[in-house]
Amino acid sequence: MKKIVTLLSLLFLTLLGIITVFPFIYMILGGLMTYREATSIPPTVIPDSFQWVNYLTVFEKAPFIQYFINTLFVSLVTTLATVLTSLFAAFALATLEFRYKKVVMVGLISLLMIPYESIIFTNYNTIARLGLLNSYTALILPFLTSIFYIYYLTNYLKSISRSFYQAAKIDGASDMEYIKKILIPMSKPALVTVGILTFISSWNSFLWPLLVTNDKKFRLLNNGLSAFTSESGSDVHLQLAAATLTILPIVLIYFIFRKEIIRGVAKNGIKG
Amino acid sequence: MGKKNYNSENQLKAWYFLLPALLAIFVFNIYPLFRAFFMSFQKGTLINPRFAGVENYQRLLSDPVFFRALKNTAFYSFTVVPIALILSLAIAWVIFEKVKYKSFFEAIFFMPYITSTIAIGIVFRYFFNGSYGLINYLLEFFGLPRVNWLDSVSMSMPTLILFGIWTSLAFNIIILLAGFRNIEKEHYKIAKMFGANEWEIFVKITLPQLLPTLTFLLTVNLIGAFKIYTQVYALFGGQAGIAKSAMTAVFYIYDKFHVAGRPGLAMAATLVLFLLILSITFFQQLILKKVGRKG
Amino acid sequence: MIEVIGLQKTFDNGFEALKQVDFTIEKGELVCLLGPSGCGKSTMLNLIAGLLQPTDGDIRFKGESVIKTEPKDRNIGFVFQNYALYPHMTVLENIMFPLLVGDNKKKKGDAKAIAEKYMELTNIKELQNKKPGTLSGGQQQRVAITRALVQEPEVLLLDEPLSNLDARLRLKIREEIRRLVKEVGITTIFVTHDQEEALSISDKIILLEDGKIQQEDDPQNLYLEPENLFVAKFIGNPIINFLPIEVVDDGIKHASFDLPLTHFIEKRFKKSITNGKYYLGMRPEDILPSDSGPLKGKIQSVELIGRERILHFELAGERVKSIVGVENEITEGTTVTFDLAYHKVFLFSFDGERIY
Repeated sequence: MKKIVTLLSLLFLTLLGIITVFPFIYMILGGLMTYREATSIPPTVIPDSFQWVNYLTVFEKAPFIQYFINTLFVSLVTTLATVLTSLFAAFALATLEFRYKKVVMVGLISLLMIPYESIIFTNYNTIARLGLLNSYTALILPFLTSIFYIYYLTNYLKSISRSFYQAAKIDGASDMEYIKKILIPMSKPALVTVGILTFISSWNSFLWPLLVTNDKKFRLLNNGLSAFTSESGSDVHLQLAAATLTILPIVLIYFIFRKEIIRGVAKNGIKG
Repeated sequence: MGKKNYNSENQLKAWYFLLPALLAIFVFNIYPLFRAFFMSFQKGTLINPRFAGVENYQRLLSDPVFFRALKNTAFYSFTVVPIALILSLAIAWVIFEKVKYKSFFEAIFFMPYITSTIAIGIVFRYFFNGSYGLINYLLEFFGLPRVNWLDSVSMSMPTLILFGIWTSLAFNIIILLAGFRNIEKEHYKIAKMFGANEWEIFVKITLPQLLPTLTFLLTVNLIGAFKIYTQVYALFGGQAGIAKSAMTAVFYIYDKFHVAGRPGLAMAATLVLFLLILSITFFQQLILKKVGRKG
Repeated sequence: MIEVIGLQKTFDNGFEALKQVDFTIEKGELVCLLGPSGCGKSTMLNLIAGLLQPTDGDIRFKGESVIKTEPKDRNIGFVFQNYALYPHMTVLENIMFPLLVGDNKKKKGDAKAIAEKYMELTNIKELQNKKPGTLSGGQQQRVAITRALVQEPEVLLLDEPLSNLDARLRLKIREEIRRLVKEVGITTIFVTHDQEEALSISDKIILLEDGKIQQEDDPQNLYLEPENLFVAKFIGNPIINFLPIEVVDDGIKHASFDLPLTHFIEKRFKKSITNGKYYLGMRPEDILPSDSGPLKGKIQSVELIGRERILHFELAGERVKSIVGVENEITEGTTVTFDLAYHKVFLFSFDGERIY
């Protein structure tokens, strides 16, 4: 009986595994087909020959390089800013003593409950008023920090014994020296996790850039992809190639850092 | 020895470290909230607002499209979340109990979480295509009728739900696997000594220990499902389904704000949505507490 | 060197950790803050270090108040109970760290030379390239002390330095600590709950309980002349025997024995004694088997601990211990007569005050 259960469950798992991975495989394969192959009935699984030219066509039809550079720049800046601001804030909350600390903590936790979608439109308003639409600033500004990561890092730092800070203070280190030489090296795993997850989330962002940019010069990869899709109508093979382009960098990062990424999400239920 | 004004228990320099973050939070998290509330009582354009009292709310509550949006959103949420959770639990269980190379499967099942929804949407559009899509081909292959997944008013929501389930599995599985790992092995050893079989172990030991994890997932997933937007956009190429048949709450808000140019109405809808999410979460916590007590 | 004046510390939750503490420590002294958990000794150490802020009172180093001074400017070294060695740095880097940060940064070369000098002093030179995680408890402790000394502070503070070590190591290392600080000549304050440790190496012990100083004295005196019942009970292993007795006219009455007051030495009375209830305190070594004596009991068990025996017996239901040499072959079940060393026993009033 147990063997049957095991067999069935493994079958179940394999089936669902295929269902999960297949779209990615097909994305890559479909992006290498000709239009006819991509829309053939019955569907083609493996193209006759790999149409690398599709990628060239995609780059010709839409400035994907520009999109890529924009996304890289915005994601890097956002990640750096978020990691730093969250780290400093978490340092203050976890290590220093000051009045009203509890007020700040409680305030932050209650703010966590506000759905991003409710403030996104008013932020658009703010950015518009400042005349910052269609700029890198607009894409970066609202995301200079993350309340969630402040909360996450504060908890993480709290688990690092206070005596390290006290020892450093007695040794004569200033706060910045402590942060640079002791805190950051000791919290590397958490910082790596926060950094990578912020980067991925920034890379995949969609709604906000949709609101504040429509100039191709500042468009991000995800939005560029969706614009390309609507513009290219029925060129499915090109769309799939463009989609592959979009997810490729992240998939690469994922395969290199998947342990850190999975561990970071699993430990704290971080939702990007 | 330098005499300064040092107090180990009230270190004012803490505020310097908090300043950058607090500033950003105030401008982009706190202020917008109040502004949204304020704006919901205004009409006109962004540049030219006029006070409108509760007119926006009245308009909202008499708009059939809004109700359809809410209905769809609720239908989506209450279907996708439980199904995805149960499926994820099954998958996580198999990975944890029956498989040797756990991290391999974990890595595979996590992929949908890190990839852009838009990109995945393109593939799914491709799969679900009425004429050349793989899914219809497979259905025909097994002797089943073809389905008009993407262009039929009645099929929009089901297709969206399938897509939603597929994208929801990844996060759930990872969190559940972590939950499984946290259960102390001693519990299993003792149960096996008493001769319990797998199903009994699962129901009597695993499930109760996973309850906090499941609660957490239920809450997070529900909240996320109610805010669904990108999946709709991705699956239906920017539309809310054919003839707006897959209109959801955030889609409605976006529409009113950016397309129809009626920010006040959008803000009112936002607030209604926010309150809805809040009450559902609250309600759900209550029910789960009762279940927890009984169990 | 260090003066603590009227120090009070009440925490936010209302807990009064220290209630009006005053003491002075001279330069070069090795002083122990001793007491049970919760007595306030660690709080006191943290206040001296500047890691906590006093609620009231003052702390002065060489006559100047330091309570508003940052720890790094107080010229102190601190050894934490968990050592707080920076795990990502080698031993050498850990020890050089204080010299490479702060206002008086040294050049790397100079810092290394100073670090090496101190590593020789504490005998850890061969560990310099290891990371703290690979070291044993005793080794980590030596690294922590070295790091505390490397800035050549005027005061060394140690928070329960030996409590994480096993018993054998504790005996060895406490001697090393004493030798080291005396060689360097640094004023040292250490906190412990282990009275034997305190008795063994301190010049002076400040015994705390419930936020107040119970007695401040040199170790020997603390043992021989406790000022109250708490001190008598805390110091000494095995713990002192104390029995409730009643003074009636010219004698001490207990359910199972009588002691005429004439056997007590006049000079030793701290106060005149009146009729009433008291505690009689007798250290195990002051109750000795004898041919004749006021106490009599049947031996219930005999503990053999190497070179001594502890005889357990009961007097009117109270357990009493007597310590004798191992050559004494009294066995279980024997009924023995005990005599008292009247010049060494103590009498305490019912609220703990020492009367005799």
